[in-house]
Amino acid sequence: MRTRFKIVGLLLALALVAAACGDSSSDTTTTTADSGATTTTAADTTTTTVEPMVCEATLGFIGPITGPVAFIGGVQLNWFKYAVDTFNSDMGYDFQIVEGDNQFDTAQSATLAAQFIDNGDIVGVVGPAGSDNVDAAGAVFEAGDPDLTFISPSSTRVGIAAKFTGMFRTVGTDDDQGPTTAQLMIDQGASKVFLIDDQSSYSTGLAASTTAALEAANVEVVSESVTQDITDFSALVSTIPDDADFVYLPWQVAANAQIIANQMQEQGKDITIVGSDGLDSGDFVVPGALIVKFAGDISVIPESADLLAGFLAEYPETNTFGPPVFVATQALLEAVDRVCAAGEVPNRANVQAEVRNTNLAQTILGTPVSFNSDGDLADGRFYIFQTDADGNDIGFAG
Amino acid sequence: MEFFLQQTVNGLTLGSVYALLALGYSMVYGILKLLNFAHGEVYMFGAFAGYGMLTILGGSSALVVPVWLALVLMFLAAILASSAIGVALERFAYRPLRQSTRIAPLISAIGASFFLQAAALLMFTANSRTFNTPQLIAIDSGIPFGPIRVWMVRVLVIVTSFVLMVLLYLWVNRTKTGKAVRAVSFDREAAAMMGIDVDKVIVVVFLIGSALAGIGGVMVGLVFGRIFHIMGFVAGLKAFTAAVLGGIGSIPGAMLGGLMIGLAEAFTTGYISSTFQNLIVFGLLIVVLLIRPSGLLGRPELVKV
Amino acid sequence: MTAPDETGIGVDEWVEQSEGRREGHTGFTAPARRLFDKLTPGSRLTLFLLAAATYPFLVRGSDVRIGITILLLAMVALGLNVVVGWAGLLDLGYVAFYGFGAYFYAIVASDQLPAHWPTWIAIPIIVAASALLGALLSLPSRRLVGDYLAIMTLFFAQIFVELVRNFERLPFVPDDLNLTGGPNGIPGVKPFEFFGFEFNGQELLGGTLPTFSRQYYLVLVFLGLLIVGLHNLNDSRTGRAWRALREDTLAAEHMTMPVNRLKLLAFAVGAGIAGLSGALFATVQNGVFPNNFNLFVLIIMYAAVILGGSGSIPGVVLGAVAIAYVPELLRDPTKAGLLFYVGIAVVLFVLVRRWDKIAATVGGVFVLGLVVRFFSSRIWDESILGEVNDTSLSRLLDDWVLNFESQRDVITSYAFVLAIVGVLLVVLATGWWKIAALIPTLYLAILVWENKLVFQPSITRQLLFGAVLVVMMAVRPQGLLGTRRVEIM
Repeated sequence: MRTRFKIVGLLLALALVAAACGDSSSDTTTTTADSGATTTTAADTTTTTVEPMVCEATLGFIGPITGPVAFIGGVQLNWFKYAVDTFNSDMGYDFQIVEGDNQFDTAQSATLAAQFIDNGDIVGVVGPAGSDNVDAAGAVFEAGDPDLTFISPSSTRVGIAAKFTGMFRTVGTDDDQGPTTAQLMIDQGASKVFLIDDQSSYSTGLAASTTAALEAANVEVVSESVTQDITDFSALVSTIPDDADFVYLPWQVAANAQIIANQMQEQGKDITIVGSDGLDSGDFVVPGALIVKFAGDISVIPESADLLAGFLAEYPETNTFGPPVFVATQALLEAVDRVCAAGEVPNRANVQAEVRNTNLAQTILGTPVSFNSDGDLADGRFYIFQTDADGNDIGFAG
Repeated sequence: MEFFLQQTVNGLTLGSVYALLALGYSMVYGILKLLNFAHGEVYMFGAFAGYGMLTILGGSSALVVPVWLALVLMFLAAILASSAIGVALERFAYRPLRQSTRIAPLISAIGASFFLQAAALLMFTANSRTFNTPQLIAIDSGIPFGPIRVWMVRVLVIVTSFVLMVLLYLWVNRTKTGKAVRAVSFDREAAAMMGIDVDKVIVVVFLIGSALAGIGGVMVGLVFGRIFHIMGFVAGLKAFTAAVLGGIGSIPGAMLGGLMIGLAEAFTTGYISSTFQNLIVFGLLIVVLLIRPSGLLGRPELVKV
Repeated sequence: MTAPDETGIGVDEWVEQSEGRREGHTGFTAPARRLFDKLTPGSRLTLFLLAAATYPFLVRGSDVRIGITILLLAMVALGLNVVVGWAGLLDLGYVAFYGFGAYFYAIVASDQLPAHWPTWIAIPIIVAASALLGALLSLPSRRLVGDYLAIMTLFFAQIFVELVRNFERLPFVPDDLNLTGGPNGIPGVKPFEFFGFEFNGQELLGGTLPTFSRQYYLVLVFLGLLIVGLHNLNDSRTGRAWRALREDTLAAEHMTMPVNRLKLLAFAVGAGIAGLSGALFATVQNGVFPNNFNLFVLIIMYAAVILGGSGSIPGVVLGAVAIAYVPELLRDPTKAGLLFYVGIAVVLFVLVRRWDKIAATVGGVFVLGLVVRFFSSRIWDESILGEVNDTSLSRLLDDWVLNFESQRDVITSYAFVLAIVGVLLVVLATGWWKIAALIPTLYLAILVWENKLVFQPSITRQLLFGAVLVVMMAVRPQGLLGTRRVEIM
């Protein structure tokens, strides 16, 4: 028995070593494939210099595909794949992708950034999610190759895009969202707001900017916070004062907000919930709740609805973190397309130059997208929607 | 007073779920001296099995069977799935390591835990699932408790777990198999020499502990609503804490530990601060352990020389 | 699968024979292991350092960075080994000291405070402060043994993360003091600087060595010094006393060993090493964030110590290499696929071992695949038209295995569960039944792999990592380079 185990161990170790050496063997396979490709292109170039140049590019993705917030990364990865597949089939390209799972760990984000810098095929990166991961990966990109573009689909901290040359983002900042949200509550005559943040970088930033705006208008803010991993809020719900006008939840986990809504109903607390863009999800359906959305309602904009239907035909589900990835990928792909159209071979520098010129008149978000000199969205607008009794979101005129 | 009662109910609900989980933890520990870190994943699969059964039966809004039958079937599905996983874990991850040092199975448990989490991610994706319990059992149904009203689901959770704990206690103390379990946990080798089939006893313990975890999973799904692939990690930690606090290996201790942590969390949030809930609860537990180093109901270990 | 009656000869006798078992290497790994035993610790270290120092010459910057991760894990695991492997104290709060060192360095070497401390002053202070903290935290833990100690220290670990995440909100902290950065952490930590040379992420020797090489050698030097120090410590009076403590605390106490002081010392030494590693981590990552010090990180440290062989310095280093490198290896779908199929071949050889049976299995799987494909394609042609992964192996198998065009997720989920059940049956079955169970199981495994797992490399990576941990522990419960010990109850 024991010797058998030893053999298993040895062979397993051998398998690992073999896989490790697969490094070189896979390299050789790719090089043979490449050399095959180069021979054909070499043949092409000898015969034809007039034929259109082959436009090739690889995009990287960094996101929390597994780990504590896999619900963000999983959906983001699918939208990334969907964007590249759609673009490839529409435009006749064969752009490749490389996915990198950071498990929402800053150290892994930094390692992935280093790997993408070393992978010469990659001309642009989508991700990472979360401002702390952007900080960690951004430091590596900035030191290693500032020409490599990375577009974060979910990072809202103010000023972070200005720190890194190659960084862009396709969501608005806390300074866009906080005051909008505060103004909404002030317009509704709020005198007391119960605010619960979820101790994440996203949530505390948004809570701070909203609180500042509310307090400037003499609205009383009662702040509490919970961690993202708990799923029972009944004790917290009991502490919500009855004279509060709003419960504001700047959260990422929409399903948790649904629980808090149920528990408020259970304990007879009839207070309107105001949710940040993180609650823009099918997991949070509370009639009467106000949601601050980063984009218009994409299911009613015809072009966006088509894209959404196409996505859902292929992938099981979506949430609020998906569409900004589509826009980020689109910005990169169109930049590569413009580089090729200008007759250049796409590389990091010319792709980044073209990303800077991004001017998408119509996106899945329903708004035009272009970047300012920092890499932030030129016009990060937020819209307010109210959920009606059927669970549909209707525009809210406040 | 009303606030106090409300927080008591909140704490009891949460605490009884912790207690169910802690029981499985504590029983396994008592018999194998093994920290079963994959216990939380067993609980998670129980929750998903219950959800799967609910979906098969038409979902919360369009049930094809009466609600009570749906609940029974959901619990049965969870028990089946969880105990199958628990027994498989024992057979394939822990049994090969039974003769080794005590911390070696820790890594098997962690490996199994990674594997099960990834398997759940593959099969169920990362998005949360919700039971939509208010559509199943109306949110304004309930029984009065002093000035407040307690939702039926909370009543169900608290009562079921108390009944289960009493049954378990009776089983361990009054039946022949229970006696064998106690014998094996007292001294495995001596028990084996007395003709007790140790392997079988261990399998039974894993079976029961995992079934309790599965029931706990469905209960969490019902009362709080959200289940997701990584829910087992935090719950497993809480269960471990509850089991140790109560005196690890002690069945009444695990119940007491679970309830205490649930109540402590509710009262901390209610009276002090939600932000520092964990800080305060952990601080409290440290004090408890300093006063009673072997847990609340644990006996100081006798060292055999 | 260890026969339960293996210790049937009586524990005492088994203990007595342990020395003999330890020395007698048998089997085909014996020559390598005898050679390893013959090397002096000094030459082992020299060989390791030489190999490690050559590594950056051969690879790219990102691989050097992975190398840093490995070396850092080795350092911090060696510190944990002092507490767990030598003194036998189950310390689950260890990650807090790592975090303490990292945050300490980040605070004094970033814009968080107006003053920037020079590295040569900061490092000794951080190590001393971490060690002091370790000693302090061990004071209330003195009365606790085993798992009660574990849970108490686990509370410390969780309290640490809660504290750094919510430091600014603590009631007694002045509003304008932003020390830990809360959930945002502290970005922009300065690199180590000795004699005016900055150990940042740049290349070395004018580009001969890739990026991150400076930090790599910095960590390697610290690791080398640490190994030398720990080796001497292990051989010292204190080291021997720790081992006595681990084997039998009561007996050690009767031998008049100062048990409490020894425990305190173990905690302090471990914490000091953790603090140093944490400071290095902070500079390598250019920042610290609360999630860098959660329980997952602690689990990884424990995995390195136990997988490598608790108590053995080379073992722990090897364990760190395995634990930090395998997940990186599995990132590449091609390599993960290779590992999967090589793994299947290995399992086949080990489980079956007879050529006729192996041939029967392989033939059976092949025929089964063709039969399934034949009938399935007649009944439902979408079962063979699905997307094929773009690797040479997958394309090779495309004409044999099913590739679903629709319903892929549902079918593969069921197939996945069936395959796991199949694996369990294979382990239990004997004789030709094993082959009978093996054929459909292998087919299902390949089906699931080609239809689902190749398209989800990140999830597959976690799946395989978990499976590798379970199998490795089942194969070598004592760890890769550990010695077998009997737990005396």
